[in-house]
Amino acid sequence: MAEARRQLAPDPVVLSCRDLTVAYGSRIVFEGVSLEICAGQWTAVVGPNGSGKSTLLRTLAGLTPAKTGTIHLQGRPLSAWPRRERARNLAWLAQTAAPTELTAAEVVALGRFAHSGWLGHRKAEDDASMHRAMRATGSLAWAQRRLSTLSGGERQRVHLARVLAVEAPVLLLDEPTTHLDPPHQEDVARLLREQAHRCGVSVLSAIHELSLALTADRLIVLGPRGVVGHGTVREALAGDWLSAAFCTRVDIVEHGGVHLWRPALTENGAS
Amino acid sequence: MSTLRHAVADLGAGRFEYTASRRLGTWLLCCVGVTVLLTAISLLIGTTSIEDSLKWLLSPDAQSSVVLWQIRLPRTVGAWFAGALLGLAGAVAQGVFRNPLAEPYLLGTASGAALGVTICLMAADASVGGLALTGQIGVTGAACIGACAATLLTVTLSRGVLQTASLLLSGIVTAFLLSAVTSLLLLTKPEVWREMQTFLLGTTSFISWSSALLLGIVLCICIVPAVLLSRGLDALTLGEDTAQSLGLSLPWLRLTLLGVVALATSTSVGQVGIVGFVGLVAPHLVRETLSVNHRQLLIAAPLCGGALLQAADLVSRWIIRPAELPVGAVTACVGGSYLVFLLWRRSRDG
Repeated sequence: MAEARRQLAPDPVVLSCRDLTVAYGSRIVFEGVSLEICAGQWTAVVGPNGSGKSTLLRTLAGLTPAKTGTIHLQGRPLSAWPRRERARNLAWLAQTAAPTELTAAEVVALGRFAHSGWLGHRKAEDDASMHRAMRATGSLAWAQRRLSTLSGGERQRVHLARVLAVEAPVLLLDEPTTHLDPPHQEDVARLLREQAHRCGVSVLSAIHELSLALTADRLIVLGPRGVVGHGTVREALAGDWLSAAFCTRVDIVEHGGVHLWRPALTENGAS
Repeated sequence: MSTLRHAVADLGAGRFEYTASRRLGTWLLCCVGVTVLLTAISLLIGTTSIEDSLKWLLSPDAQSSVVLWQIRLPRTVGAWFAGALLGLAGAVAQGVFRNPLAEPYLLGTASGAALGVTICLMAADASVGGLALTGQIGVTGAACIGACAATLLTVTLSRGVLQTASLLLSGIVTAFLLSAVTSLLLLTKPEVWREMQTFLLGTTSFISWSSALLLGIVLCICIVPAVLLSRGLDALTLGEDTAQSLGLSLPWLRLTLLGVVALATSTSVGQVGIVGFVGLVAPHLVRETLSVNHRQLLIAAPLCGGALLQAADLVSRWIIRPAELPVGAVTACVGGSYLVFLLWRRSRDG
């Protein structure tokens, strides 16, 4: 892992795509998207429902084929990566996980699948990664419990631990705060920032909660017709990208150095 | 998440142990114990009374030795191996299809085997050349060829193994198609029907030491790749996309494991006919009593399946002795009742 991260130093762009067009049948989800994701940054993908946030992440993870365009991971075409090596360098979290009867520890151990191979013999290094990931997400306490016996939020933290256990230099997280209560959402945001800033990981996460997304380093704002903008939070606010993406007025206020989304409930005078 | 701030820098690590291991060990020991007990009992049950069988055991002569060691013992050992193959195939099929209702015959293997046997019996009946051919491959070989051909047809119809729903539908289509062909063939040769009945209802009465040995060898061949790929099945429980993102090659995994299912099922069907419910019930019984991952399941389900078919074989020999019930009828009654019980309990527990 450390070796993989050191390789990032000469080229800060770890994940990029050019002229990416994705379609489901005849319906084009987005077209002509070009992005560059740098090392050590947390980028949040925001946009209205159906704008293609999940599809963008799935495409970048190599799970949904692009109609046109190219994707490069660490300067190498994504399709040219051997399957297991790619899995060690790019981890993906699904928006909703399938129910499983495995224990939390077994699920997190699957994060080491590409490291430990088919026989599944875990080395001390794998156990250390699992331990760190579970501790970071606060899921260590229920390591031996079956996932089916955990709440939605607890399961989400286990799956997040699985992704962290990969120790990949690029994390693609589709709604990592789903099912979590606000304090735990905040913890996850802090964890993602820490992964980016202290470990040099590139984190790209789709997030619905606007106030939480605004704590990221950069924003990719998707609208009904593709990318509205890609830049820092300040650039997004200055350009009012969010209003353009959601096709409605999006009020963002600054309070104590933090940007917060203010719901505009003007009809009831409750804003 | 109070330790969140320092967690990333924390290098401390603990060993993750699976709590199920100890219970699994006890469970497996119980299974082995039951198997040994059933094997011992099976030596006593046959057309003779238990008292006579006991006398044979205590003071064997040439005739009793043949009955005990060349008929009854290979039969019960073979039944165990056939049940174990079905248990293994069921557990693998349920993992590959991510469906607890999946069973070994899902790929149309049973219908394919039935068609193979029908063609074999009709050929033997029709001409000297056909009889010679039948002598070469045997009913068992015909069943195996039919089962393998049906699996290939299913995979061809679904245009590969990537789409689960397509594979399931193709399996159903293949089963119906081949059953229809079998029925049409039997209509033209009604005299073959009686011989076919034994096969269709399942029987362990023709198992010899060579059959038992074949079943045992195939079990060894099948269980190795299945257990080696069990982590892939664990990953598959998280969803196909997640499994792929973890570095799993889905086509390769599916193809290998479906090959295991086809080989295990066709061998079992070839030796004991179509025995229902064992492959479906054995993995359920394990999951109901233990919290297991796929590696543990793929070891426990064959043991459970073996003991189940052995027990069913005993019941089939005991219940209307000195005559015998078809073993498939016994497994259908017991397995069906158990599944109904499971459904009832689930609806009761909400």
